[in-house]
Amino acid sequence: MDYANKPLADALAAQYVTGTLRGGARRRFEALLPGHPALRAAVAEWQARLMPLTLVLDEKTPPPQVWARIEQRLWPQAASAAPAAVQAWWRGLAFWRAASGFATVAAVVFGLLLASPQPVQPPVMVVLQATGADPALAGTVVASFSGDGRSAVARPVTPVAVKPDRALQLWWAPATGKPRSLGLINANGATVLARSALPGGLQGSGIDHMAVSVEPPGGSPTGQPTGPVVFYGKLAP
Amino acid sequence: MKTPTADWTDRSKELALLLSRSALGDRAAFRRLYDLSSGHLYAVILRIQRDREQAEDLLQEVYVSAWKAAGSFDAQRAQPLTWLTHIARNKAIDSLRRAQAQPQTESMHRDDDDDDRPSAAERLADDAPGPAALLEHASDARQLGHCMQGLSAQQRQSVALAFFDGLSHAEVAEQLAQPLGTVKSWVRRALAALKTCLERAAQRDGAVGA
Repeated sequence: MDYANKPLADALAAQYVTGTLRGGARRRFEALLPGHPALRAAVAEWQARLMPLTLVLDEKTPPPQVWARIEQRLWPQAASAAPAAVQAWWRGLAFWRAASGFATVAAVVFGLLLASPQPVQPPVMVVLQATGADPALAGTVVASFSGDGRSAVARPVTPVAVKPDRALQLWWAPATGKPRSLGLINANGATVLARSALPGGLQGSGIDHMAVSVEPPGGSPTGQPTGPVVFYGKLAP
Repeated sequence: MKTPTADWTDRSKELALLLSRSALGDRAAFRRLYDLSSGHLYAVILRIQRDREQAEDLLQEVYVSAWKAAGSFDAQRAQPLTWLTHIARNKAIDSLRRAQAQPQTESMHRDDDDDDRPSAAERLADDAPGPAALLEHASDARQLGHCMQGLSAQQRQSVALAFFDGLSHAEVAEQLAQPLGTVKSWVRRALAALKTCLERAAQRDGAVGA
């Protein structure tokens, strides 16, 4: 067949995009596409014509395991170490809407007894897992708060191989809203966080989760994370 | 009701940007792409492949393919949602082909009468709107809806069954209890009429066809 023949190419493309070209004919047509620009152009035209029809379908939210399996297939190493829904976590509402469905966030919180009236409160430890956003940065960062939340220390459990011209910055954020900086942290040792950066007591502070992003040496120039989020941890409710 | 066309345009720009970032390996962008588009693609797939488990597998395949092929997406030539929807529809249609090729473990034949496939009405006897109703909604989308209205009822129904539900010519013929040749010509003429109508509209608007 002469696939440069425009009416023929057009008719085949129409049936292909509509879905009525089936079986062997469909496979043959697909095999021809890479070598036939006229066919490709005709297909693109029919796609543009017909695909808007699909917009009348009501959206259906896929179950959360679909994304988990996509991650597992595309980035098997990162997916096993990282929570599902952490990258660009402060951007846009979609994450917040989706978060409840993807709540496989790996986090451990010890002794979160802050609502109790005891005068002495146990320390709170937040474990931030590597997200896989940068495959070179693996492991875990731990942030420990004193019971009253007025002092805190953060440290990677094992040294983090951050590039020499980059720094790690620690953030905390409420469930909805912008993250706030807790300052830069050492990539290979403990950092005592500046008291002024702490929310001043964990109780009622609104901390929902914490994250570490990769930033320029002096820290984020914008006051918000600018680099990839490489560690992430959520406070248990 | 939302206007599908406005929604389409709004999302396009962001999706195109996210696709180009995904092509550079930005996983966060890809995640956002998934958040913005998976509801639509899942609906498209479920319409064709009604087995939820298979539909989930197909959706997974769609995004694995999209991640790998993101670099081949050309925003100058295609709308991102069109590109993604095409991948989804293709996989869904192919899954029907495979299902047909596999031996049926459970025969649907009760007797020699070949008319034992579930009818269109039975197939659609759930909460999903029928294909004809969908086309009426599509009328809200500017030119496409207008042009759809220009088709005969039979043409519209044939195209709707094929396009939304992934039925082959033979299956459409069976559902409508019409000869295969008749249905083929309905679909062919419907698509030709649609094309002419859309091209005329584009010329009238002085715009390049979308």
